[in-house]
Amino acid sequence: MAELTRERWGGRSFFLFAAMGSAIGLGNVWRFPALTYEYGGGAFLIAWIIGLIILGIPWMMMEFGMGRLFQKGAPGVFESIGKKWEWLGWWPVFVAFLIVSYYAVVISWSLNYAVDSATLAWGTGEAGATGAAGYFFGDVLNLSEGPSVLGGLQWPVVGALAGVWVVLFFIMFKGARVIGKVAAWTVIIPWALLIVLLIRGLTLPGAVDGLNYYLAPDWGALTNPDLWFGAFSQIAFTLSLGMAGMFAYGSFVAKKADINNNAFITSFTNCATSFFAGFAVFSIVGFIMQSLSVPVGDVSASGLGLAFITYPTAISMMPALAAVTGVIFFICFFFLGIDSAFFLTYGGVIAPLRDKFNWGRAKVTAVICAIGLVVGLLYTTQAGLYWLDIVDRATAFYGLLITGALACIVVGWFYGAGKLREHINSTSDFKVGAWFDWMIKIVVPAGLLFVVIYGGFKEDVTSAGYGGYYAWSWPIWAILVGTLLFSFWLQAAKTRAPQEVKLK
Amino acid sequence: MTTAAIITTIVMSLVFIVGLVFCFTRIGKGGKWED
Repeated sequence: MAELTRERWGGRSFFLFAAMGSAIGLGNVWRFPALTYEYGGGAFLIAWIIGLIILGIPWMMMEFGMGRLFQKGAPGVFESIGKKWEWLGWWPVFVAFLIVSYYAVVISWSLNYAVDSATLAWGTGEAGATGAAGYFFGDVLNLSEGPSVLGGLQWPVVGALAGVWVVLFFIMFKGARVIGKVAAWTVIIPWALLIVLLIRGLTLPGAVDGLNYYLAPDWGALTNPDLWFGAFSQIAFTLSLGMAGMFAYGSFVAKKADINNNAFITSFTNCATSFFAGFAVFSIVGFIMQSLSVPVGDVSASGLGLAFITYPTAISMMPALAAVTGVIFFICFFFLGIDSAFFLTYGGVIAPLRDKFNWGRAKVTAVICAIGLVVGLLYTTQAGLYWLDIVDRATAFYGLLITGALACIVVGWFYGAGKLREHINSTSDFKVGAWFDWMIKIVVPAGLLFVVIYGGFKEDVTSAGYGGYYAWSWPIWAILVGTLLFSFWLQAAKTRAPQEVKLK
Repeated sequence: MTTAAIITTIVMSLVFIVGLVFCFTRIGKGGKWED
C-alpha cells in the first residue's frame, strides 16, 4: 500500500491563522467584555489570566499534541489510546456539529443586520434606541410564545443561512491548505475592523466612562466564587477546545513541528483580542449610558443582547456615520464567526468522519453542509431562539465541559501525560516541565468540572431562561444522552482502511 | 480614565506584549516545519 500522507497546512503561519481564527469568535466580543465588567474589572482579569495558564494553554497543548502524535482527529486519537475510548472522540464531534448548526444562524443574523444597518431599519434617534429590541424579537425573529410553537420560517434568515453554508462549503471542500489561506484573511479583517470600531467608539461622548466601568478593579470580588466561575468558564469557551476540532487541526501538522509555542501563541493572541475588543464594546456602552441617561447595568449586555440590541441601540443614537458603523460592526461579526464555523465543521466533523470511513472530501463536505443547513432551519422558525438557547446550553456548556474533562482524564491517566509531554517537547521551540502533567491529570479536569457543577446550579440558570426549559430539563438531557449513544454506535461501526490521501 | 483603569490597561497590555514577544522570538528554535 502506498505510504499514508496526511493533508497539511502549507505553512506554519496558515496553521496559526486557522487556530487563531477558530479560537477568536463571537464570544471574544459579546461575552468577555460583559463578564469582565460584571465580575470586578481588573480583578476578573487576574483570575482570567490564571485560568489561561493553568487550564487553557495545557488543554490546547494536549489537543494539538495528541492530534499531531496520532495524525488523526479526535475519535482516531482516542481509538489509538484504546478501542474502548473511541466514543470519547465522537461525543465532541456531535457537540461541534450541534454548535455549528446554530452558530451559522447567528452568523446569518449578522448578515441580515449588515444589510439592515445600511438603512437603520430599526429606526433612528431615541425611537431607534427604544425600538432595537422590538425589531430583533419581532421583525427579525418573529418570536413565538415558546419552543413548542414553531410557527413559520423566517425567510430572510433562511436565505442568509443558505448563503453561509454555501460559503462554508467552498472554503472547506479542498481541505486544510485552502482553509489556512482563507483563515489568514478572516483573522486579519476583523482585527482591522475592531480597530475602526474602537476609534469610532472613542470619539463618542461618554466613552471614557464606559472604559472605567470595564477596567476598574474590584479586589473584593476575588473572594467571590462567581468571579472564578466566570473566568474559568470564559477560558473554557473561548479557545474552541472540547469541540474535537483542535485534535484534527493538530493532526494536519507534521511530526517534527512545534506544538508548545503554537499553543501559547494561539492562546495569547485570542485573549489579547478579547481584551482589545472590550475597549470597542465598552466605549459604546459609555456612549449609550450618557445618551440615554441610564446606569451601566441597564446597558452592559452579553451574548445576542449585545450584538443585536445594545449595539443597534448605540448605532441609532450616533450623531454621524451611524449606518457605516453598523455595517462595519456586523461584517466584523460575520468574519469573527465564519472561521470558527469552518473549524467546527471541518476539524470537528468532516475530518473525523473521513478518518473513520475514508469518504471523499468534497462529497462528505457537501453532505455535512446540507445537513447543517437542514438542522439549522429549526433556528430560523419563530421558536428558533428558544431552541438555540436549549441546544447551546446542552452542547456549548455541558457537552463541551464534560467531554473536555473526560478527555484530559483519559489522556492524562490512561495514555500518560508524561509520555505526551516528552513527545511534544521533543520538537517544540521551548519545553514545558512536569507541571504540564499535573495540569492535564488533575487541574484542567477539576477546573472544567467546577464550571459545569457550579454553573449548572447557579440560581440564574436554574430558575430562568431557556424558553421555559431550565438548566437540567429533559431536552438538555435528551441531547446529551442521545449524542452519547450515537457516539457508542459510531465506535461500534467498522473503520474503513485508510488509503493514500493525495496532496495538492 | 481613572488611575486604576489606566494601570489595568498598562499591566494587561504588558502581559500580552511580553508573552507574545517571547513566543515569537522562540519560533524556529526547536521544531522543524514540514509540509
